[in-house]
Amino acid sequence: MTKMEVLDLIAKHAREILPDLHQYQFNASDRLVDLGANSVDRAEIAMLVQESLGLSVSRIELFGPKNIGDLADLFLQKLHVA
Amino acid sequence: MSPELVVTGMGVISAVGQGKAEFASAILDGKTAFRVMQRPGRQRESAYIGAEIGEMAFPASIKRQSLRAASLSAQVALIVLHEAWGEARLSELDPRRIGLIVGGSNIQQRELEQIHESYRDRSVFLRPTYGLSFMDSDLCGFCTAQFGIRGLAYTVGGASASGQLAIIQAAQAVRMGQVDVCIALGALMDVSHWECRALRSLGAMGSDRYANDPALACRPFDRDHDGFIFGESCGAVVVESFESSQRRGLAPYASLSGWAIVMDSNRNPDPSLDGEIQAIQSALGASGLSAEEIDYINPHGTGSIAGDETELKALRACGLTSAYLNATKSLIGHGLSAAGTVEVIATLLQMRAGQLHPTCNLENPIEPTFNWIKDKALDHPIKNALTLSMGFGGINTALCWRRHKDLSHFVMEGTA
Repeated sequence: MTKMEVLDLIAKHAREILPDLHQYQFNASDRLVDLGANSVDRAEIAMLVQESLGLSVSRIELFGPKNIGDLADLFLQKLHVA
Repeated sequence: MSPELVVTGMGVISAVGQGKAEFASAILDGKTAFRVMQRPGRQRESAYIGAEIGEMAFPASIKRQSLRAASLSAQVALIVLHEAWGEARLSELDPRRIGLIVGGSNIQQRELEQIHESYRDRSVFLRPTYGLSFMDSDLCGFCTAQFGIRGLAYTVGGASASGQLAIIQAAQAVRMGQVDVCIALGALMDVSHWECRALRSLGAMGSDRYANDPALACRPFDRDHDGFIFGESCGAVVVESFESSQRRGLAPYASLSGWAIVMDSNRNPDPSLDGEIQAIQSALGASGLSAEEIDYINPHGTGSIAGDETELKALRACGLTSAYLNATKSLIGHGLSAAGTVEVIATLLQMRAGQLHPTCNLENPIEPTFNWIKDKALDHPIKNALTLSMGFGGINTALCWRRHKDLSHFVMEGTA
């Protein structure tokens, strides 16, 4: 899986949780918080992505990424370990 | 002397209508919507009859995003609060002086059961929102966030008396000066097949006797009754002092003149004649009304054999045999936590319409001597009404309502 595919997955689930973003074009530098996702929304998006990838990442590790590009990198890294 | 408490806004939804106008016209026409329930999670090796809310119209001001994470109970709460909020013009008030009491406990059982089923084999991916939504008090957070309410908000539980309990609690919050205006919400009790199964096994919910004719199943006070029939509903009632209502130039629906809560010291579902008599007499005493002055009663009347009989005995013992009587549950089913609030709304809408709604399936009343409204609506300007609720665990509540003097012009116009 490529980083772009993981980013697309994050975008897909972000649109699911935040329907107002249905036409928004996501960039790797986007921060979910700046797009209107509160802490519960962010937790929901992260969980949906994990389920799509068949991954389970601890909540602590999810605090690291500063934007969705970083988040995609974290998921990619976990995918390779798995 | 305590300030006069009035109702200045209401919102309602049920299987026979969304909004006061549609609801009032449906109940006065004797409309019903009973069938084998279809909502996912309501049936398992069963064909429970009930009345379910159809398609809902959401006010444009409610964001799609907020509905996404909202349970059915939360969605209907938003709809009825929006209606009551607009009517009582609560946006004109300081949000720190507005409160919300949610009546009901364990109200989202079907929703939770659906989530448990869905994540049974993949629990690590359970949606984090569940950590909020499994609590009934999520409705307090959800609704106060939507409407910007900054006063108090909490839930009260009293089984099928929860809806009346919420109104009593709202009245007390206003009377104590905790807030100027308090909204009582009778929350939609979203039962799953598990609750239906147990309620039927307890003998509380009606049997399969009318499986082939669901329209005949719900028959409070009729000789052929054999238990309650569930019905989804939700209602909101805005309580404030008359003085406060006048600052916004509102015409109140009615005055809440007295109320009572009486426990039977009984954990079980069986009713208590003594408890019901005490509740009625205490509410009448608090309101300064005699039994003869009550000209309309909205009884608890679920269709339960023991419940219906006990309630009529209590009314007789209290000298309440001449007042008109109908059963709102015969039309909309038993809303459990919502029932007490929605039936108060039905009472005040009848008061404003100057008409009393029919009672569906009341062919042979178990006590024919009462002043029943049977198959047709009746013109009658209610002066003083008594509304009753009883719940499992031995709770009895009673509320007394006086027509407000400002109501006379509504009756003349015949508006609902």
